[in-house]
Amino acid sequence: MMAIVKQIRRLTLFETLLLLALLLLAAFMSLPIVFIINHAFKPFHELFLFPPTFLVKDPTLTNFYELFMRPVARIVPFSRYLYNSIIVAALSMVAVILSSCMAAYVLSKLQFSLKKAVMAMIMLALMFAPETVAIPRYLIVGWLQLNNTYFGHILPVIASPVAVFLIKQFIDQIPAELLEAAKMDGASELRIFIRIIIPLSMPAIATISIITFQGVWGDASASTLFMQDETMKTLPYYITTLTSGMANTVAGQGMAAAAGLLMFLPNLIIFLFAQRRIMETMVHSGVK
Amino acid sequence: MARVSFHHVYKQYRSEKKTSVTDFHLEIEDGEFVVLVGPSGCGKTTTLRMLSGLEDITEGEIYIGDRYINYVSPKDRDIAMVFQNYALYPNLSVYENMALGLKLRKTAKHEIELRVKKAAKILEISALLDKKPNQLSGGQKQRVALGRAIVREPEVFLMDEPLSNLDAKLRTQTRSELIRLHQELQTTTVYVTHDQTEAMTMGSRIVVMKDGIIQQAAAPEFIYRQPANLFVASFIGSPAMNLIEGSIEEDGGTHYFSNRRLRLEIPPQYKPFLASGKLRNVVMGIRPEHVLLEPTLEDPNDSYGAVIDVIELMGSDSYLYLSMGDTRVIARAIEPGSKFHVTDKIDIGFRMEMAHFFDAESGGNLGIF
Repeated sequence: MMAIVKQIRRLTLFETLLLLALLLLAAFMSLPIVFIINHAFKPFHELFLFPPTFLVKDPTLTNFYELFMRPVARIVPFSRYLYNSIIVAALSMVAVILSSCMAAYVLSKLQFSLKKAVMAMIMLALMFAPETVAIPRYLIVGWLQLNNTYFGHILPVIASPVAVFLIKQFIDQIPAELLEAAKMDGASELRIFIRIIIPLSMPAIATISIITFQGVWGDASASTLFMQDETMKTLPYYITTLTSGMANTVAGQGMAAAAGLLMFLPNLIIFLFAQRRIMETMVHSGVK
Repeated sequence: MARVSFHHVYKQYRSEKKTSVTDFHLEIEDGEFVVLVGPSGCGKTTTLRMLSGLEDITEGEIYIGDRYINYVSPKDRDIAMVFQNYALYPNLSVYENMALGLKLRKTAKHEIELRVKKAAKILEISALLDKKPNQLSGGQKQRVALGRAIVREPEVFLMDEPLSNLDAKLRTQTRSELIRLHQELQTTTVYVTHDQTEAMTMGSRIVVMKDGIIQQAAAPEFIYRQPANLFVASFIGSPAMNLIEGSIEEDGGTHYFSNRRLRLEIPPQYKPFLASGKLRNVVMGIRPEHVLLEPTLEDPNDSYGAVIDVIELMGSDSYLYLSMGDTRVIARAIEPGSKFHVTDKIDIGFRMEMAHFFDAESGGNLGIF
């Protein structure tokens, strides 16, 4: 603390102004976070105040209570959606990390004739918006009879061009001599991959874990398109039903606010823990 | 420990038309310290990598001991390699770095510990065993890399410019340590460098390469005294040998090397090739230490005027960069540098018995018969 005070004292006038301006900007940027946290604890009448307030005046847990207890009357309880979301997010992360790392290692360090073509296809895949491939995805999931299975959630996200690209850029910087040294030490490809490549690309892996987690955790499309069985749908889908896709503007607002906070928390926690590593990867790979 | 034999080895990369290594034929004796030296792109590293198994052999055969190893995988060749950038595993401690090779070979745990500790003691890195590579200095990293090679107790050490990333002082120090290490372990070593000083000081035999072809393979002193061709003459020695173009003329039974400025009598040991009667264009090579300066001139009649362009003080002696018209000559002055001054005009001579003559076209040394 004392060190920070000392540092502030040493600043020039311009630097002080800059610091103030940045602090203001940071405060402004964090308003949504303040809002989402406060909103979840607002009682019913405060939710619809006009003009809306950022801070809650009379905090209550009613919203959470309703969120958890209401569906008891329905067939599928809230906890089932939460459980599905956690399972899907966790499995997707593991699958994406494994497949992307292996693909990136091969593309970065091994020589084979179709390498350029494969890289070009990955680049091409980067350019498609998810909406454009929704129908082919639906057909594939249907053919493979993955409707109403967890694998139906996971399969469409496994091949992630962004993840492959990020990790490949990272592995490119691992000197080839390191792998050669390992080869001469007697390590097999698998061993080199596990003992050297994986530990050295940890920052990149952390980054893609977060990207993947965020993508899967907030995505309702798989639940909407591939899952007909209500018990296989995930949390983001459930939240849209609370307000009936914004058609019902009053009844579900309290629950939606509470659910929104629950959805947001994991992202915040992960980011706080891993932000240094994310920065590292972004700087390294030149991706902004 | 083992011999290494290269039998007419060629290397051609698929993307290139020319061969990178051409007809590399060499026998390396047990316990020898062979240095492959040459400018970058001369194929020395490619040769080493073929021996290590990291690169395929296009044609020819390589033997370690009596074993034909063309198709043996790197880990089974019983060799250890030290890389220029150390190639230490950054996520493992120094101890684990050194132990990994043994661990992968299923060596017993107490044996690993014994060997790592012994190697660490030899290299004086016992105190660093628990550290991670990024906590070490360049010199310490290089020792760990050496240690990783030593613990394996291989038949052959391969070293690919291991000193290039060190600063000048550390390089000299590590150089002598490597020599000491080799004397202690007596392991056959193949060492690649582009630095002729390293080659001269370390090698028990030097292999000079250019464009993938061996130019000369011999003991350092022999290469220095009897360079096989113009390339070797200009590459080995610092500063480089003076090369002066001219032709050979005969005058009353005596042969002279002459050009527009010089007319020098060629000593009798060159008689055999001169007797062949082919009087052709040649390049005379003479080392800076064989250029005579004013006070030591034996025959004042045989001297030529030159102007001092630059004086390089090296401590014990200094090098004079002289110009005789458009001919540049480097001379070594043993006397204190203060005696000479830039732009002074001085008389110089040549110790002709130490001169070399090269064919101007083929570059071959005419004095090696």
